[in-house]
Amino acid sequence: MTTSPPTLTDPALLRLLAWLSPAFPTGAFAYSHGLEWAVEAGDVGNEVELGLWVADLLAHGAGRNDAILLRAAYRAEGVVALAEVAALARAMAPSRERRMESVLQGAAFAAAAAVWGRAPEIADPPYPVAVGAYAQRHGVAEDAACLAFLQAFGANLVSAALRLIPLGQTAGLRVVAALEPVVLEVAHASRSAALDDIGGDCFRSDIGSMRHETQYTRLFRS
Amino acid sequence: MQRATGAIDAGFVRRGVRTVLSTLRQEGCLKARFPARPPAAHAAEIVTLNISGGVAAGDRLAVRIRAAEGAEVIVASQAAERFYRAMEASPPASVRATIEVAAGASLDWLPQETILFDGASVQRRLDVEIAADARFVGVEALVFGRAAMGEDVRRLHFRDLIRVGRNGEPVLHDAIRMEGDAHAALRRKAIGGGARAIGTIVHAAPDAETLLDPVRAALAGHQAETGASAWDGLLVVRIVAQDGACLRAAIVAGLAVLRDGRPLPRTWMC
Repeated sequence: MTTSPPTLTDPALLRLLAWLSPAFPTGAFAYSHGLEWAVEAGDVGNEVELGLWVADLLAHGAGRNDAILLRAAYRAEGVVALAEVAALARAMAPSRERRMESVLQGAAFAAAAAVWGRAPEIADPPYPVAVGAYAQRHGVAEDAACLAFLQAFGANLVSAALRLIPLGQTAGLRVVAALEPVVLEVAHASRSAALDDIGGDCFRSDIGSMRHETQYTRLFRS
Repeated sequence: MQRATGAIDAGFVRRGVRTVLSTLRQEGCLKARFPARPPAAHAAEIVTLNISGGVAAGDRLAVRIRAAEGAEVIVASQAAERFYRAMEASPPASVRATIEVAAGASLDWLPQETILFDGASVQRRLDVEIAADARFVGVEALVFGRAAMGEDVRRLHFRDLIRVGRNGEPVLHDAIRMEGDAHAALRRKAIGGGARAIGTIVHAAPDAETLLDPVRAALAGHQAETGASAWDGLLVVRIVAQDGACLRAAIVAGLAVLRDGRPLPRTWMC
């Protein structure tokens, strides 16, 4: 296993900030991960409900699983091992739109990050796999990449919620701030998790992403 | 404490228009039964039976079913599988099913529901490997706690994996992981919204996506929250329900479409 320096070098920090910024062209703003249905169904309508919903996705859903996949991609030695992590990540999608969300963001991330060079040898990496592989090749510490990925995942869902429910910017920021302990805990626990530890129980969120496919009015692609 | 082990390994081949048993090995607490009149004319049906009555921590059960080229096989179970309370330090029960569906073959995995008692500790895995033009329909129904006793599942260790591979590539890796107070988790909106039963139907076939609209129509109006999606030769249904009966009604409706109206095994008729 390639070990990362415990702290980020300045170039590595710059890359991490660029790659996980909401301005990086992954198209993240177009995906709600089923949240748009949850709003339609009345499950998420205020700050408290939003915080609980996103916390569960982080700790018991795609957040935790993507953290494990990102770390596995980071640690994968060789083309075959990396391709196996990517295949597993693709197979984990619970619905057509969630698969699209992961695969298209991964492709967009890889295309954009290629500007920095040292592209990993992999075709169509799903999003967490693309981030993990690029982070490893550019000396971005694994823990830092994992934390930044989880933070971006949560913040993107909050940002989506601000467009769906009458919630102010400050309320959204309070949710992001309150999610910090969850992000830290999931990032920390995923350090010692293996691919066999992948799994979740966000059944109604998964159903939401399925029902979103036939939702009448939609702002989001998932 | 002496723990139960059981295994069934059965192979089926096509002979003319019919499917017949070609190999069978059974061990320990698992027995195979073969109904005299299978529900579909050409298909073979195998019914598994756990004679130890239920599954305790440390039990090890393994089922392997192979459908050779062109075979049509239906797998059912005699009764609901009960997973008992485990002692704190016990190893989990291990339940493993391996399904192989060869070219042009079809296999229906239709066990009765799984009932998780408070304190259950379970690691379960269903591995399905299918050929590109094979067909698979599988269902897993989970009921949390014994409804008649008003039991809440406050302590649970549960890992349940459904893995489908096609030509060696994973196409579905549906992993459920629940640790600790399942009753509290299931009350949360992103998880269960107060549900006590969760169901999953997986259909893998070249034309799976064409059945999405009819499946959605069949699921609508049931007393359960349902979702269905299809991609890449797969159709997945997830159901969240108040109890086992509501879950079962939705599953029966979904299976009627996916199995083209063919009758369910007799073990479903109670």
